[in-house]
Amino acid sequence: MPAVSELRMGRLLAPTLIAALVVATGVLLAIGGYDVGRAAEALVNGSVGSWYAIGSATLVRATPLILTGLAVALAFRAGVFNIGAEGQFLVGAAAAAAIALTLPKTPSLILILLALVVGAIAGAVWAWIAAVLRSRFHVLEVISTIMLNFVAAFLVSYLVRGPLQEPTHVYPQTESIVAAAQLPRFGPTTRLHLGFVLALLACAVAWWAVRYTAAGFRLRVVGANPSAARSAGKIDVDRVTTRVFLLSGALSGLAGAIEVCGVTYALYENISPGYGYTAIAVALLARLDPAAVIATGILFGALEAGAGAMQRDANVPSVVVSVIEAGIILALVAADRARAMRTRSAVA
Amino acid sequence: MSRARPFSTALNIVAALALLACGHDRASQAIDSTHAGSSFKVALLTPGPISDQSWNAGAYQGLLRIRDSLGAQVSHIQTKTPADFEENFRQYGAQGYTLVIGHGSEFQDAAKRVAPEFPKTTYVTTSGATTGPNLAGLSFGFAEPSYFAGMLAASVSKTGKIGAIAGQEIPPVAESFRAYAQGARAVNPAIKIVTSYIGNWDDVSAGKEQALAQIAQGVDVIFQNADAAGLGVFQAAREHAGTYVIGSNSNQNGVAPDVTLGSVVIDLPLAFLTVAKEVKDGTFKPGLVVLGSGTRVVTLVLNPTLASKIPNTMRSRIDSLQAEMVAGKFQLPAASDSSAHAKS
Repeated sequence: MPAVSELRMGRLLAPTLIAALVVATGVLLAIGGYDVGRAAEALVNGSVGSWYAIGSATLVRATPLILTGLAVALAFRAGVFNIGAEGQFLVGAAAAAAIALTLPKTPSLILILLALVVGAIAGAVWAWIAAVLRSRFHVLEVISTIMLNFVAAFLVSYLVRGPLQEPTHVYPQTESIVAAAQLPRFGPTTRLHLGFVLALLACAVAWWAVRYTAAGFRLRVVGANPSAARSAGKIDVDRVTTRVFLLSGALSGLAGAIEVCGVTYALYENISPGYGYTAIAVALLARLDPAAVIATGILFGALEAGAGAMQRDANVPSVVVSVIEAGIILALVAADRARAMRTRSAVA
Repeated sequence: MSRARPFSTALNIVAALALLACGHDRASQAIDSTHAGSSFKVALLTPGPISDQSWNAGAYQGLLRIRDSLGAQVSHIQTKTPADFEENFRQYGAQGYTLVIGHGSEFQDAAKRVAPEFPKTTYVTTSGATTGPNLAGLSFGFAEPSYFAGMLAASVSKTGKIGAIAGQEIPPVAESFRAYAQGARAVNPAIKIVTSYIGNWDDVSAGKEQALAQIAQGVDVIFQNADAAGLGVFQAAREHAGTYVIGSNSNQNGVAPDVTLGSVVIDLPLAFLTVAKEVKDGTFKPGLVVLGSGTRVVTLVLNPTLASKIPNTMRSRIDSLQAEMVAGKFQLPAASDSSAHAKS
């Protein structure tokens, strides 16, 4: 734990950086000829301005980010650099859609469970490929998982133009899944669905398991020092990393399944706007802590929701919105890393 | 591992943004965009960037024209994922928009889910086929201008072989190519028509391969409807002197002025304005709306640079038929029996 004075320094750094960013964003918008006040107002209103914005915009977007963020955080904690959450998300979404489309007569509860479980399994299988490549052939998972993302994207492209295409064979998407396969929503006027609760549960269980179970301890040890884990702890490192791969893939796959069953109700080519990549930022910003992933996931969800409102209500085009988002991500991560470095030097 | 920090970071940024918003609150009320407060509010959702000089750019021009001609308050959003579709349809409905246009067939499922909840808002999806009491699908009558394109191709072809290339065999394309073949046979009953499909809409080199294959068979005029992949057709034609292309969807006469005879152009701004005007007047009937014959929305636009390649008689014939079409007086010959046209 860092010294108190260091904490204070860290706390000063972050607000300074963020204040600078807010000013820079304002200047950027002003140069572009946009109404800065209206843009900021839209950003806040669209993300936290009403119960509808919080539930239906922010938390709905946060759900896949929390789950994929958790997947990345757990993997990184064990020293498994799974950059493949995006691909695992996509195969999970495809598998869930396939189940929901082929078994439409199944009772609702069973169908939903089946879709989510199969989605998670598909994600795990996708991650397992990278796990085998790493343990058997020493292929860096950073490379294999990224490559598998592209394979997954093309697989989805093929599916929505081939076997899973909607009946008229005109549009590159699947038919809508039956109502029985759709995750329940919290009321008729909200878009917030059960998946959000599942995401919170997953984080809570992961937090507890990493902290208090033997498996969680092995995960942390392998991440901290694999050779020590092998020699001093007699831990089968390959087995631990393979399991972490599977778990990480399953969480991302579950996120994809939930997105299909809770939000889009069909499989599309561009079903993910890069959740699996944003997940890396979500996980890093949470300092790889499963509980903190909830907060950072919601923060990024709020940014996405606010960005949409900025475009709708303040005419700020999406390009500017993307620049602002990227700036915020960079500033947050930079502030966080800077603090971590100061802490380390203070401890040393 | 400290859990407090990310939370405090998150709090910091939300607080800072909230402060910014509060500080500017008065200013935001003072400055309003054109026609803000107008009761006629129109929103547009595009699946891609409005800088594409094509599908999305045309839609945005349409939105601006609605603003300028009808005094509407307008809003535009570029959706990134299908999850955005429903949310934005809902937001616009809740904000009391009169007309919400989803620019692409991919929007129709979300529109169908949301439309019943906001009966005062009219939802329209471009090239959609889903309809409801306040939900319409907007499509474009491509057949007549394609017929004229066929006449044009047959009159310019020296080999008696013309081609048609599209991305995939979807119903509107098939209809367009049928009319194209009809138009060509009306001019030259013995003409041969080679049709090929690339398999996708964005692979430029695959588009070029298909065009080269047709050229090798003796085709010397190609009607292309393959979006980005169609650019390869222009490239192939440029490499083979004496080969010409007819473009589709947007005015492609400038893409390759030296080989493009003309383009079947959809005037998206005009289409949107037509719909918006009807919605504003309360005369709009939701359903499958086909804008084609009887309007200027879809027309064959000849390329002035290559005017000399087109026989004068043919040019005036196309002009007069097109004028008939705009007036709603032109009728395509019955589609089923092609041998009848061969005789005519």
